[in-house]
Amino acid sequence: MAVGSGPCLLAVALLAAAWISDASSSDKQADSSQQYVNCMPCSRTYIADAYVDALTSQLSEHRELTEVRDTADLCKGLADELDVPTLSEVNRQLVGEGSHRRLIYSIKFGNSKDAMVQFLDGYDANLVILEKLPSGVFADPFELQHFVERKVFLDVAVFGDTNLELPSALSNRSAVEIHFDLKPSTSMDYNLVIELPLHARYPPLDASGYATVEFGSPDLLLRYRRKETRPDPCVWALQNLHATPVEKAAWRIPCGDEAHTGFVSSLTFISALVCSMSIVLAASLTP
Amino acid sequence: MATAAAATVRWRVLAASAALRLALVAYGEWQDAHLEVRYTDVDYLVFSDAAASVAAGGSPFARATYRYSPLLAFLLLPNSLLHPAWGKLLFSAADLLVGLFIDTILELRGVQAKTRIWCVVAWLFNPFTFTIGTRGNCEPIVCAAMLWILICLMKGRVLQAAFWYGLIVHFRIYPIIYAIPFVIVLGKNYAGPAGRPVLTQWSSKQQLQSNKARENVEEPTSLLATLWNFLSTLVTRDTILFGLLSGSMFFAWTGIFFYLYGWEFLNEALLYHLTRTDPRHNFSIYFYHIYLHHQQGFSSIQRLASFLPQLIVQLALIIRFSRDLPFCMFLQTVAFVAFNKVMTAQYFVWFFCLLPLILPWTGMKLKWKGLVCALVWMGSQLHWLMWAYLLEFKGRNVFVQLWAAGLVFLAANTFVMIMVIRHHSHTPLFSAPAGPRTKIAAKKE
Repeated sequence: MAVGSGPCLLAVALLAAAWISDASSSDKQADSSQQYVNCMPCSRTYIADAYVDALTSQLSEHRELTEVRDTADLCKGLADELDVPTLSEVNRQLVGEGSHRRLIYSIKFGNSKDAMVQFLDGYDANLVILEKLPSGVFADPFELQHFVERKVFLDVAVFGDTNLELPSALSNRSAVEIHFDLKPSTSMDYNLVIELPLHARYPPLDASGYATVEFGSPDLLLRYRRKETRPDPCVWALQNLHATPVEKAAWRIPCGDEAHTGFVSSLTFISALVCSMSIVLAASLTP
Repeated sequence: MATAAAATVRWRVLAASAALRLALVAYGEWQDAHLEVRYTDVDYLVFSDAAASVAAGGSPFARATYRYSPLLAFLLLPNSLLHPAWGKLLFSAADLLVGLFIDTILELRGVQAKTRIWCVVAWLFNPFTFTIGTRGNCEPIVCAAMLWILICLMKGRVLQAAFWYGLIVHFRIYPIIYAIPFVIVLGKNYAGPAGRPVLTQWSSKQQLQSNKARENVEEPTSLLATLWNFLSTLVTRDTILFGLLSGSMFFAWTGIFFYLYGWEFLNEALLYHLTRTDPRHNFSIYFYHIYLHHQQGFSSIQRLASFLPQLIVQLALIIRFSRDLPFCMFLQTVAFVAFNKVMTAQYFVWFFCLLPLILPWTGMKLKWKGLVCALVWMGSQLHWLMWAYLLEFKGRNVFVQLWAAGLVFLAANTFVMIMVIRHHSHTPLFSAPAGPRTKIAAKKE
């Protein structure tokens, strides 16, 4: 069905494949599609929603991307001889202790300041971060929404399992898409620091006492469109920024030990029984 | 003169606590805007989002984790229309109302003005309660409604009591534990000679204890006869009216919201609370047991084993203390929270609002037994909180220690309950003109 739908679909599929496979294979693909510019109608807010199932499913099974339409012709003229910003440096760090931590991205653009200002004068541009969360970690969409209200992010969405309360054993994976507005500003150095608050679920039981959750590489994209003379229909151009794979972040989460089951359950029930009996006794012995 | 002076003191206390709450709400707005750690309760944001969803013509359950009656979202509509702090002011107002109701109840029971002030202060200046209302927790509304129901029962307004009781059980479910004691006090001895209930006065408690001693002699000896006698006292016009009206109120509200929001409402607002088990850490002794079993589920024996202690304690307390209704409600609530499968700090407000109602009848002096009880209770809670902090904010594996701290907290709750029971002078809420002897005594007077 989607065979003839052109390079647009191909790029999206590549992107999805990059998520599913590990960072090394996405590295190889990076070279082949370096110059490629993809397009997306403005009516579509998020990039990740079309293949969210592929993104978050536990099996690395490749799903048909039926929702993506052929928009290649709409792209024409958008990417022509344009000095689109590129990244020079991306760092990601997991900061904090315990069940509530922050992923902090520090991002540097490789272009000169003047080139950036010039580009952003002519184009609306957003940095898009797609972070596929490993099983056992979640982002609270309501908490992130308050970031949007405070204008920290332009927009944010969480795809996949957004039940915030279930332990990992009973929940699925999710992915976060952050849109960060790039504004022309002479004061700014185009060194961005973006924080994503994350929370740990209760991991499955394990005798080692700790479950280690590892983050893969995020995907960084630039989304831009001309400020004036917008073509009809309106489209965003998407450029994969192909950030070099960042350091793997690992999160150690304490977990219960199955060996405790016997004494914990029996002592729990015995304590409840002893306490209830002493209350009953005290009640019946009062004059 | 003395009563006028007491009334001035009472209004001053209320004004001071109102000012305190306003200041805290204002401070909360500041902290939310400036500090990383919010003052506002996370649940308040959930209510507010749900209210905003209703204001936009949607369902409150569109907001994930909204697990309350839609009525709460309706109450908080002004949050999105007027000001986001509306709900906090509403909850704080309910909180003040609880103070006023405590005073009313104790006055009806003949407690002196000076003692009443201290009891009201024990609620209004309890750091647990004023922070809970101002942080945006809805429990003060439930507390106010429960005390108002108690006032209605004390004044003989059975229908009004039933109306509010049905509504509040729909709203928060846990007050269902008071259903049996309510029916027991509404039984045969409820209405006095004038058709209205006669309240036992605080000053006359000695005399009453001697009355009670005489009643005991008359009790039938056979267990079956006792049971039959007891059950037959429960079928009266008042109990039937109360049961029918409160039951229809409950089902009417539940029906309306089921019609409006469907299964989402029933699952989230009702069934969720009935079947709730939380594997994440909370004060309940059961949390680690639940976490250890969450991957394979629970056997019916395990379910029964965790339900039985709760049931036994509730029944024992009801059988033993229901005639002293406020005391019974206090103990029932402490026990219900202590043995529950999920326990969070907000549940403590449920019994904090009933505590002032039993203080005038306790023989426990603040020096030192009262203080010991308070310290044991708070100390075991702080101990638990320390382990919880290490687990949640330091990422240390202290599940076993945290679970043991939960057992210690249960022991502390049990200790405090036993102390309270042993030092309480049992005083039925209503002086029942039951036996013929009391009637004669009344005639002689």
